[in-house]
Amino acid sequence: MRIKKLNIGILLFVLVGVVPFAAAFIYALLYSFGIIGVANDGFTLQFWESVITSGTFFKSFGYSFLIALVAVAISVGGALWITLKFRQQLETRFMSFIIYLPLAVPGIVTGFFTFQLFSKGGFFARISHKLGFITEASQFPDLVNDGLAIGIIFSFLTMITPFFVLLFLNVYKNERVEELSILAQSLGANANQISRRVFLPILLKKTWVLIVLYFIFLLGAYEVPLILGQESPQMLSVLIIQEIKQYDLDKISEGYVVAVLYTLIVSVAAILLFLPKRKRAYAT
Amino acid sequence: MKRIKFILFGFLLSLVVQSCGEKSTNNDDKLKSAPWEDIEAIAEGTTVNFMMWQGSTAINDYINNYVVPSVKGKYNINLQISGGQGPEIVQLVMGEKQADIEQGQVDMVWINGETFFQLRKVKGLWGPFVEQLPNASLINFEDSYISTDFQQPVNGMEAPWSINQFAIVYDFEKVPNPPKNIPELKNFIKEHPGTFTISNDFTGMTLLKSFMAELGGGPNVLDGAFDENKYKQLSQKLWKFINDNKQYFWKEGSTFPKEQSKMNQLYANGELLIAYGFNEGGIEDKVLTGLYPESTKGYAWSNGTIRNSNYLGILYNSPEKAGAMQVINFLLSPEAQLKKADAKGMDSNTVLAMDKLDTEWKDKFLDARKRQYGPTLKELEVNAIAEPAPEYMIRLYEDFRKNVIEN
Repeated sequence: MRIKKLNIGILLFVLVGVVPFAAAFIYALLYSFGIIGVANDGFTLQFWESVITSGTFFKSFGYSFLIALVAVAISVGGALWITLKFRQQLETRFMSFIIYLPLAVPGIVTGFFTFQLFSKGGFFARISHKLGFITEASQFPDLVNDGLAIGIIFSFLTMITPFFVLLFLNVYKNERVEELSILAQSLGANANQISRRVFLPILLKKTWVLIVLYFIFLLGAYEVPLILGQESPQMLSVLIIQEIKQYDLDKISEGYVVAVLYTLIVSVAAILLFLPKRKRAYAT
Repeated sequence: MKRIKFILFGFLLSLVVQSCGEKSTNNDDKLKSAPWEDIEAIAEGTTVNFMMWQGSTAINDYINNYVVPSVKGKYNINLQISGGQGPEIVQLVMGEKQADIEQGQVDMVWINGETFFQLRKVKGLWGPFVEQLPNASLINFEDSYISTDFQQPVNGMEAPWSINQFAIVYDFEKVPNPPKNIPELKNFIKEHPGTFTISNDFTGMTLLKSFMAELGGGPNVLDGAFDENKYKQLSQKLWKFINDNKQYFWKEGSTFPKEQSKMNQLYANGELLIAYGFNEGGIEDKVLTGLYPESTKGYAWSNGTIRNSNYLGILYNSPEKAGAMQVINFLLSPEAQLKKADAKGMDSNTVLAMDKLDTEWKDKFLDARKRQYGPTLKELEVNAIAEPAPEYMIRLYEDFRKNVIEN
């Protein structure tokens, strides 16, 4: 009975999780080679060639990679620092409410919110104007739709830092880091040694899978870079949608090439990262 | 346990059966010659799905609070609206073609040149049907701005819905003498850096088309079929002009607004001194709703700005073609067109020819057109250019990205 139950679970998982994804992937793959698509004339490598030679994909991938990396690094670092310094305060009701709040805000709202705050006609620009720091809207620094992706990174930080704080607080409690720290202290470790040798290794080891998953999630983010990004280079999902929805019907397949490439890279990376180390991660 | 498996199996089986069971009703071709009374009889009681751009409150208000109840009351038709424009419509049609869906989700669409070109390329439109509509007799198809859509003859495959012209928008209190040609624009942006930009969408590309005509030496340079050599020569001049001067554009030309609505906001909050758009700049409702200052005015470029019409089409796999014809005929009636022309409402120019209307209607139309802020179609008329062939737009999109944005 139990085995049968498991079988049905797997069947449902395959039906709901694997089949649609595989079907979409195969569809994109066929589209990218021109095999399907109303405006296509049959098998061709032309779309792959033009995507790989134009370099837009790699630029966009590198750009997305850097943004996701910076955002994850800052938010993990910030969350660790907050956990280390403000653990006790965070346990009060009010503070935990403040921390939970941003988690309930969808990405698209965060994007608009950031835009309203930091654009040249936004909240801070208006305050600076009233206070006389600037005399014209154009003097306000570029914080959204900018080359350094400051707006995007800011939005990502507000979206994921609270999550990491909550995660680290839980791991801190469950792994008894408090007790271990006291133990280390009684054995003669100073505060610095405790955070470097006890606090950090335990927290990071227990959460690295989630950190990597969040990195991949940010790599494929859509709404925030759509609102706050610039026109070139663009983050991957924005590029893919733009290519697929373009006016030149003969080039729609290029969007599918980008989608296939992106899926392949992320899948391969995920397999390499998670498969061989899975045992070790749970053994410790 | 077996029961669950049966249920799952049954569910899958029913899906398969359903997807194979779609039967087409192929009486559609008869509609192209049937008397109007027959079409009306078939249309009665149907549900018609209309896919249209829903990005303006005035338009949504007109459709939801006037058109939907009117067709329900007059013809017992349930008109349902879904959001989507150009690329979404084309994507939908391509997807349904791919899947051999004979009963599509959408019956009628609101389109113009480019989408018309694409839909015809994938054979996504049904027709010709326009001659069948009684109210089509009120339209002057001799007017080339109506009968030709991006240099393509309409040939009854889409019904004109409204006509409009592109206009440049400015604030006369901040800019008493706005630029009217490319050399003046060059000087203007040098004096006021960061106050002009090109939106990376339909609107921006339309501006570039009129720039290209000016660089070619006259309003009619781009008329006729697409000419590769002409395009290459003129677009090179255009990219040179933009790249030489883009350090004076918004954000030093390092990026461009994704769409017109974003550019409008930049104009509204004072970052940009010049904006532009179809529908004679779309000024009236934006001033009335308080987005634009009351000192906003619109004008045409001295070499001309693009004038075009937008249209209603019926999709090839529309399940309710007769219903769609009835709705389109209503949208072309003097009553519906007058309501649409109201300067305080949707504010869009009628496609009906004044000399084909009764005097009573004519007076009403003249009265409805009184705008307080924006220019009228009549005022811009002398500087109108026809839409160039759609390939110009498609190429401009791609090359603007390659030569300017990514440069």
